[in-house]
Amino acid sequence: MLLAQVLLNGLLLGGLYALMALGLALVWGVLNIVNLSHGAFIMLGAYATYFLFTQAHLDPFLALPFAALALFALGYAVQRGILNLVIRGPMFNTLLITFGLEVVITFLAQLFFSADFRTINPAYAGTHFDLGGLTVPQVQLMAFAIAIGLTLGLWAFLLHSRPGRSIRAVSQNLLAAQLYGIEPRRIYAVTFGLGTALAGVAGGLYGTVSQINPYIGTALTAKSFVIAIIGGLDNPLGVIVGGLFLGVAESLTALYIGPTYTDVASFGILVLVLIVKPNGLLGRTA
Amino acid sequence: MARTLLFLALFALASIGWAESPITLGASVQLTGPVANTGRYYKDAYEFAIDRVNAAGGVKVGGTSRKLALKLLDNQSDVNLSVRQYVQLLSEDKVDLLLGPFASNFVLADSAISEKNQVPMVQGGGASDQIYSRGYRYIFGTLPPASNYFGTTIEALSKLSPKPAKVALLYADDAFDVAVAKGAREQLVQAGFNTVVDERYTSNTSDFTSLLSRIKSGNVDVVLVAGHETEALNFIRQAKSLGASPKLYSFTVGVPSADFRQALGADANFAAGMTAWLPSKSLKDPWFGDAEQFAKAYQAKFGYEPDYHAASGVATVEALVKAIEAANSVDPRKVRDALAHVNFASVYGQVAFGPTGQISLPQTMIQVQNGKVVAIYGANGALGKLLYPMPAWDKR
Repeated sequence: MLLAQVLLNGLLLGGLYALMALGLALVWGVLNIVNLSHGAFIMLGAYATYFLFTQAHLDPFLALPFAALALFALGYAVQRGILNLVIRGPMFNTLLITFGLEVVITFLAQLFFSADFRTINPAYAGTHFDLGGLTVPQVQLMAFAIAIGLTLGLWAFLLHSRPGRSIRAVSQNLLAAQLYGIEPRRIYAVTFGLGTALAGVAGGLYGTVSQINPYIGTALTAKSFVIAIIGGLDNPLGVIVGGLFLGVAESLTALYIGPTYTDVASFGILVLVLIVKPNGLLGRTA
Repeated sequence: MARTLLFLALFALASIGWAESPITLGASVQLTGPVANTGRYYKDAYEFAIDRVNAAGGVKVGGTSRKLALKLLDNQSDVNLSVRQYVQLLSEDKVDLLLGPFASNFVLADSAISEKNQVPMVQGGGASDQIYSRGYRYIFGTLPPASNYFGTTIEALSKLSPKPAKVALLYADDAFDVAVAKGAREQLVQAGFNTVVDERYTSNTSDFTSLLSRIKSGNVDVVLVAGHETEALNFIRQAKSLGASPKLYSFTVGVPSADFRQALGADANFAAGMTAWLPSKSLKDPWFGDAEQFAKAYQAKFGYEPDYHAASGVATVEALVKAIEAANSVDPRKVRDALAHVNFASVYGQVAFGPTGQISLPQTMIQVQNGKVVAIYGANGALGKLLYPMPAWDKR
């Protein structure tokens, strides 16, 4: 029973992990930018949801679309205004710029929001129900459902919608895409905006299950990075698999080996995946 | 001639400057970075105490009154940067004496600099026994030993009937929390408790669901957590979402601070913890009147309630002032010897340092009841009623 409960905890955690990593994987796959400021955007999404909840008294789950919209606009602007300048440059430049962005966003957040800890704590946070002897936390379950729903939605969007196909076209063959009349600069900005919007939603959900301060971003970027690599960049479904896999692996490690070894487990898995399946668990074999 | 006059004038100006030059206290504190939240308490405490001392005329030394000044650097919550900044404070900024950073791991590293330069550091942010086990002579601390943080809590628990059957001890993997756990482990054995879970976890862990599931399925009665405030917040939130409701949980940090109760709202209720300080009228102080007045003035100035961090920080400034006056000098070595003998009543309690340099104060067990911190158990026995067992989450 304990094992089943811990597996459930791990799956629910993994769903949120997957959503956190989704935006990073999308931007990485299409723009070839490893967005080191991804965690900072998650943090901003968390604060956006927090303030919509505490100031505008909006239910955190209803606040998520607004947080996503705000983060989309911010991401779009950041890509057009800053990242576009170096998009053709070597990867090192984009790493440096996104790292710098992370620092700037984090310190601005401390300046405006202070380093106090916050939680998004609606009345129903922490409620749970029993299912065959297992305790199912409701908010975590909702977060899980939203995470899976958004991932599937993104998958369908990329596969079937016109802008989605443009995004894939640009990532697969830039020249051919341009010949077909796709304006890559706009597509890049839209993709980056989508990535930050997803980060915004992930942040709002993170704030309802955990706590928010200006410094949560760095660790979340690292986690997203691991999941994106484990899952592969080809396909949003890979990110779900990567997130769930990591969530379960961490929970089992904490139960059987010891809570200090969770990071050893996740980065150990990362190394193994890089050796055995460098394109990710669901990726094409090299 | 003119040149000589000018020289004399400059010399006279300079000597006036010297006579009135302030005594500079140097410190490197976490103003940004992940522990900026607590680091700020020390900045505010240092500035508040120094303002008060100066308003009361400053420090009497060598027949004159000298003001205090503060040279404060931001270590960005980075231990390595903090060490470099203490080197800078002594070598470039030429500060006279040192105040400490927050947290044991910082003090452990930074005290090597004060020791090497033979400049005393009085710090109110590190409690780990490790700081004082190295035979250092220039480090003094106003937080009582980490190994005894759970002392009064365990004593209070052993008086309960029926006595809690199963105890879990969880601790983060840093200098302070390991020292807390080491002490608590021994005290639990001595008091005859059965510790069924004894686990170390990675600092800044955000996921406690595996541990909580173990605690829930093992029907653990009491959970003692030695960790950081962010971990305490995550622990409580996840305990609620998993319906894990031990009869009591207690945290080394977070519970006394206003920020903790604000972040959790009603969920903070029943959380137990400890503090070396409560704003009581009985704590008299030469600069602040008493601790209650201090707490009011502090809240009015900074907009939040002070907890033991702030009081401890104020006590370090006061200890330095007392020692300078006793030594009648700012010579670091003389001040060091005077520090070893200070003994005065302060807003924080009776300040006197033991042979290793650490203060000895009892922790008071506290519990959040209806959003307020209530004293439960102190060195002389019960002070209030412990709400035990905590009601299950769905019965609150």
